[in-house]
Amino acid sequence: MTMTPRLALLAAMIALFVLAAAALAVGSVALAPSDVWAALGGRGDATTIAIVRSLRLPRVALAALVGAALGMSGAALQGALRNPLAEPYLLGVSGGAAVGAVVALAAGVQAAAGISLGAFAGGAAAVALVLGIARGVSVRADARVLLMAGVVIGAFANAAIMVALATAPADAARGALWWMMGSVSGATWSTVGAMTLWLALGGGALLAWARDADILALGEEPAAGLGIDVDRAGRRIYLASSLLAAATVAAAGLVGFVGLVVPHLVRRSGARGHRALFAGSAVAGAALVIAADLIARTVRTPAELPLGAVTALIGVPFFLLRLRRPT
Amino acid sequence: MVAGAVTACTRDDSDRAQPAPTPGGAARPPVDDYGDTIALTAAPATRIVSLNPTTTEILFALGAGPRLVGRTHWDLWPDSARAVPDLGDGIDPNVEAVLSARPDVVVLYAGAGNRAAAARLRAAGVRTIALKVDRIADFERAVTLLGVIAGDTARATVVRDSVARTLARVRSATRDRPPIAVFWHVWDAPLITIGRGSYLSELVEIAGGRNIYDSLPAPSPQVAIEDLVRRDPEVILAGPVGARRIARDPRWRPLGAVRNGRVLVVDTNLVGRPSVRLGEAAVSLANLLHPGALP
Repeated sequence: MTMTPRLALLAAMIALFVLAAAALAVGSVALAPSDVWAALGGRGDATTIAIVRSLRLPRVALAALVGAALGMSGAALQGALRNPLAEPYLLGVSGGAAVGAVVALAAGVQAAAGISLGAFAGGAAAVALVLGIARGVSVRADARVLLMAGVVIGAFANAAIMVALATAPADAARGALWWMMGSVSGATWSTVGAMTLWLALGGGALLAWARDADILALGEEPAAGLGIDVDRAGRRIYLASSLLAAATVAAAGLVGFVGLVVPHLVRRSGARGHRALFAGSAVAGAALVIAADLIARTVRTPAELPLGAVTALIGVPFFLLRLRRPT
Repeated sequence: MVAGAVTACTRDDSDRAQPAPTPGGAARPPVDDYGDTIALTAAPATRIVSLNPTTTEILFALGAGPRLVGRTHWDLWPDSARAVPDLGDGIDPNVEAVLSARPDVVVLYAGAGNRAAAARLRAAGVRTIALKVDRIADFERAVTLLGVIAGDTARATVVRDSVARTLARVRSATRDRPPIAVFWHVWDAPLITIGRGSYLSELVEIAGGRNIYDSLPAPSPQVAIEDLVRRDPEVILAGPVGARRIARDPRWRPLGAVRNGRVLVVDTNLVGRPSVRLGEAAVSLANLLHPGALP
């Protein structure tokens, strides 16, 4: 299968558009496509308008934003740390965010916004801790040390969560478990707004630093030889992509696997250079999470499957298929 | 004679792991909800551990409170229950802590998480009774059985009948009112409500409501908010925390009940268990749904 990168990006964008349309049209309540179309324009009966405009539309938008952010974050981390297994969740961000959310729940916080804030604070704290450890260990922020510190902080956070869950009352534990499995079912326009802002800031920064990522990917020595401050550029990209991931965790809980698999898919489709990789990962990540959410909320209506599990269930076979095929 | 009283309360219920009643009501040892035989002794139990708030309430109502030597962390009613030693969780309990209370009977909830603990307690030679108390009929069955275990079947009859009488009184007071379509908010992340398998669905109906999800068999099924918006219930019943969450969350705004101020706050402490306060719970729900219907 030969495909120019430009054509691949176009195909991904068409897929994203089709999936978004399907996600708006299909749900636990059966609606005629013409009614959905009318409801988008504010016509039709009030119930249909409410379902399409206040429930499905923000949900699809949030899925797209979360997927885009996770795809970009994974692509940037893999580049900056020069490790194909790097992804936000491996590097302590998710663990830290989950600890933040669980602490918020344990402190009696009930508002969704409060739990999100706790998650973001926890994720950011984990990032700061990882950077601090990496700096303490070596003068230069070695990519391997960042990776090690991230994995260790993540493992510690997971242990702390298990202790918290084992001692929490059943109701709180159920809420926390659901949150950790990831979901965009709580999407509202305010979460969509916050996520848009984070994606614009973090994603914009990553696009601006795409050239640094290109140079870093050559390796430490050649990069230094080309006159960039390797440590500073690496840390900057690490920070931006981790905060982007923390924002997704705050908005939708833990949606695993997107950050790992999407950049590889995009690379296999021939994307060269980090600017193309970031843009492609954003589009493909958005499409993957929209598709996963569509499956999560339709296979077992009216109940929902955990989004984080579905992204992995559909991501893995797709990934393996692409891996087999020579480019 | 004791065995006869208990056989009468083992009823046919496909949800339960127990054989159909013996034809003609012939004496046969009763079984609990794991299908294990309940050994009946002539002497009433003297050291009881109850690992379910519901059965703890029942045992206190039967006058067996002073003979309780252990409860779960969550058994806080009646007030005197707090004086009983706290043995921790009721699901997957600490078997060592239960045994150290030296009980002659342990009563626990017949859920999937308790099977292993029940088997270990039996293996240790402790009379163990697993009861799945989810619906009103389960409550009645549990009262009868625990009356036998605690040695006061007369009092069990009084407790059962007084609850049944109150429920009947509420039912007849609301009978002529048009039933109100009710959504019961258990939790919203994920969205959990009550189904036909819960006593709460029965209480809603007795109080003159109609649970919009009574077609779902599970006690606490997960539902989709889209579907809830389409069903558009007249009233939403929620605990104090749930009602605050609904008020803050824009996803709930399309619902007529939210716009019309018909999110009614239930007393979660009162309605929280299918136990001796079922009657009071029905009264409080009827007063919410049909103010003035009850004298």
